[in-house]
Amino acid sequence: MRILVVDDSEAFRKVMVELLVRAGFHEISEASGFDEAVDVYRKNRPAIMFVDMVLPGRSGVDLTKEILKIDPSAKVIAMSSIINKSMIKQSLDAGAKDFLLKPTNEIALSSVLAMWSD
Amino acid sequence: MSLLLFRKSRQKRSIKESALGISRKYSLLAGKSYVIEETPPSISFDAFSNLISTVDEKGNKTVGMAITRQHPDLVREKYGLENTPIFWLATRAGEGVISPTNLGILTHTMVKFVEEHENGVILLDGLEYLVSNNDFNKVLRVIDQVNDHVSQSGSRLILPVDPRVFEPRELALLERNMEKISAAAAAG
Repeated sequence: MRILVVDDSEAFRKVMVELLVRAGFHEISEASGFDEAVDVYRKNRPAIMFVDMVLPGRSGVDLTKEILKIDPSAKVIAMSSIINKSMIKQSLDAGAKDFLLKPTNEIALSSVLAMWSD
Repeated sequence: MSLLLFRKSRQKRSIKESALGISRKYSLLAGKSYVIEETPPSISFDAFSNLISTVDEKGNKTVGMAITRQHPDLVREKYGLENTPIFWLATRAGEGVISPTNLGILTHTMVKFVEEHENGVILLDGLEYLVSNNDFNKVLRVIDQVNDHVSQSGSRLILPVDPRVFEPRELALLERNMEKISAAAAAG
């Protein structure tokens, strides 16, 4: 299963990739912002993408909307380092399937993957 | 007028959080206490906030109470907690503060919460601080007492523990009647 991790922090992306590999996923791509994420999505068509809601430039909510325009069946999991209820609502309204709090961990990540992978 | 004030003061404010519409990621069983060995206590706080901001498979909400070394305002901001009671473990006097040396009040606060809420969850963060202010065995007795109440109820206790602070024997004593959770975490 292909997975895309979108976060402007390289350190966070690396640890996410490590957790995903430990969970048994190996086809993982990364993007640091809106444009790169759209390009990678078009090229790889990941089954699930994890998107930090706070990105430089256009936000994770904008990215979620854009990805769903490209592919209405895309599965976007919103991420943020705080639980901001209005931001989570915006993300879900934009079409995100679920939310993960950063820092994340094996338990929460496995739960989300089990719920949203086909 | 005074009767009205009396009635108002008796009205209980709801401590339920609004559901976020996201999935429940942690299956912490009712009547169980969990030790999470980690530093900082990020899995514990994530599990706590996820439990009280989501509904279970039957659509039931869980109410929570946190007792923590971190300032309640910071906890509320990070985890989006609006209604959940949060007590600060600190030596300062004031409302919502529990002194680390007052183990009686600490025990009473947790036992009362368990007795009053059938489907609750308590996060006790700051065990190291409690042990630095008290004898380890006294703190262990508090945990055991609360654990006894939790095991006879539909509630749960989450206890983050920094394993670097405790001797293996102390960890074994803490964990003997509790479930242990360990997981790798990704820092944000």
